[in-house]
Amino acid sequence: MDTEYLKGKRILLVDDEEELLDMVCSILMEEGYRHIQRAGTVREALEAAADLQPELAILDVMLPDGDGFSLFEKLKQMGDYPVLFLTARGEDEDKFKGLGLGADDYMVKPFLPKELTLRVGVILRRSYKNETPLVRLAGSQIDFQRAEVLKEGEHIPLTAKEFEILSALCRNAGKIVTIDSLCEAAWGDNPFGYENSLMAHIRRIREKIEKDPSHPASLVTVKGLGYKLMVEGK
Amino acid sequence: MKNALKLLRRLVVGMFLVCLLLPVLDLIILFSFTVKYAGNGSPYTMAEEVASGLSETESGYALSPQLQESLAEAGAWAMLIQSGTGQVVWHTEDLPAEIPLSYSASDIASLTRGYVQDYPTFPASRGGDVVVAGYPKESFWKHMYPSWDRGLIEILPPLAAVIILADIGVVILIYLVTDMKLLKSVGPIVDGIEKLSKGRTAYIRKKGLLSEIAQSVNKTSEILQARNRELRKKETARANWIAGVSHDIRTPLSMVMGYAAQLADSPHLSGEERKKAQVICSQSQRMKNLINDLNLASKLEYNMQPVDRESVSLVSLMRRTVVDFLNMDAEGKYPMEWLTGKDVPACFVYADAALLSRAAGNLIQNSMNHNPEGCTIYVTVEQQETTCSVTIEDDGAGVTEEKLEELDNAPHYMMCDENVTGQRHGLGLLIVRQIAQVHGGRMDVGHSEKGGFAVRVELPLAAERG
Repeated sequence: MDTEYLKGKRILLVDDEEELLDMVCSILMEEGYRHIQRAGTVREALEAAADLQPELAILDVMLPDGDGFSLFEKLKQMGDYPVLFLTARGEDEDKFKGLGLGADDYMVKPFLPKELTLRVGVILRRSYKNETPLVRLAGSQIDFQRAEVLKEGEHIPLTAKEFEILSALCRNAGKIVTIDSLCEAAWGDNPFGYENSLMAHIRRIREKIEKDPSHPASLVTVKGLGYKLMVEGK
Repeated sequence: MKNALKLLRRLVVGMFLVCLLLPVLDLIILFSFTVKYAGNGSPYTMAEEVASGLSETESGYALSPQLQESLAEAGAWAMLIQSGTGQVVWHTEDLPAEIPLSYSASDIASLTRGYVQDYPTFPASRGGDVVVAGYPKESFWKHMYPSWDRGLIEILPPLAAVIILADIGVVILIYLVTDMKLLKSVGPIVDGIEKLSKGRTAYIRKKGLLSEIAQSVNKTSEILQARNRELRKKETARANWIAGVSHDIRTPLSMVMGYAAQLADSPHLSGEERKKAQVICSQSQRMKNLINDLNLASKLEYNMQPVDRESVSLVSLMRRTVVDFLNMDAEGKYPMEWLTGKDVPACFVYADAALLSRAAGNLIQNSMNHNPEGCTIYVTVEQQETTCSVTIEDDGAGVTEEKLEELDNAPHYMMCDENVTGQRHGLGLLIVRQIAQVHGGRMDVGHSEKGGFAVRVELPLAAERG
């Protein structure tokens, strides 16, 4: 999947530790992100936000002149963009508070650079997926904007459920998605007892996207656990 | 009050036993004393024997020497009063001088039920005549007017029964009244001590017979509560301290880890240098895990309970945990197999999903850590009648019996109140056990059929979903 367009997103980085800012900056720049703005306090962050109009914010929770949670709320009033908390507060309550406020992710220090860049990538892809071009599979392409599959020059429409299931798989392309998450994506909050229906839908999706539906190359079963969508270039 | 009732029952039974035992004891004493008097034989029998043993000879009457001897032994004498004349026609040699030798009919009636000159006398008939055996003064007491109303004799047995029953009733009443008083004051004390043993506060009103004991119990309760408060304060302080340290260490560790990871990937460094950076990185990751574990273990140990309990499908949760690991294991060094049967239901448990996921993650990580060469990890969820269980096992190196024994029995150094010098094992399994326990479940370690190590965590099923 082509993610080069995401590297140009404007990222606001807030942490009171100068050295940590340096490090996170270097990690993100190494990954290819070009527009990074740093801030050490709530005041600086608000100024930078007004100035930069960020498309992603990475916030620490403990700041010298306030806390990250209230900063988060102020930022959200200024513009709607994803926020990732990156903090030393590892308590579950803090995590729930952050996610409960509507943050897109919550990472606890210390962390591996790889984890940070992966999570940032996921958040950006999810938030700016409208710009996502066609998804290339082994035997077909999926056009999520039109909710259809392009196979051998033919346009095959996707049903609502098939669309939900495929989006969930595509968001985690190359990774296993559990049966439960897929049921939840398609049927909502109480997804128990839909396993057989899910299997039926998967069969129909395979007929649409696979060259040989009985020997799937793109939508792979992981026995007992879930399914995996293999996307070209991933 | 259950105990008080038990006490009451015991007291009543005890009283009944006493009531039964006392008469038996009395009878035994009476018997053992009277047996020696009974040996003398009845004086009436003696008179009868003399009457029959007295033979009439030409020169008068003669008593067999044997009878003479037994009379002498008892210190008794005998005489024969002729009917009609009232004259004494025969008597033993030792007849006291004051005994008259002639008797009227009324004299005979009187000696029959009483005495002659204070000698107790016992008659027996010999043909028409009367043989009288006399015993020394004050050797016998005779009941001189032995007559009762026939009606009285007839109602005597029921009357006795009524009297005995009434007695028993009165005794029970007295017992109950006194015991109830005692029980009334014992009851609260028993309750109080029960509360103390459960670690709750006990306060007993200082009233009744046992007010001093009540006071001591109250004081004990106060001391215990004060100690508990102190202990809780210390435990909270300790948990907070651990939380604080683990927080403060995170930011510096981030930088160690972050830069080390960058250096490990840096193209400007030699292979050797990159390897060193890689070691720093993986070791700082170990430190990170240790901090997380330490914090959680201390929270689970001291006063913290799982906060976010809800109905969770164990099957779904385990599936997600396994998939998370599979998605992370890029090299495919640790393949995982999902052995849960297709017919296993969702297995709802009332639990903190994050904690359970953490427990399973710890177990999977544990298998990985102990098998650096790689191994297959098997995950099985099963449902029993009232519980469900997760088994995580591997086909790796496994453990020795001694190690298993140690894992089962030796206290972890964190929980140990002695100085530990031996090898310290990680917090991973300890946390799993703690998590199982705070959810009312248990953890068992053992050998896997697949050849490696196996851990089984059993949890109670959520009640409302069955």
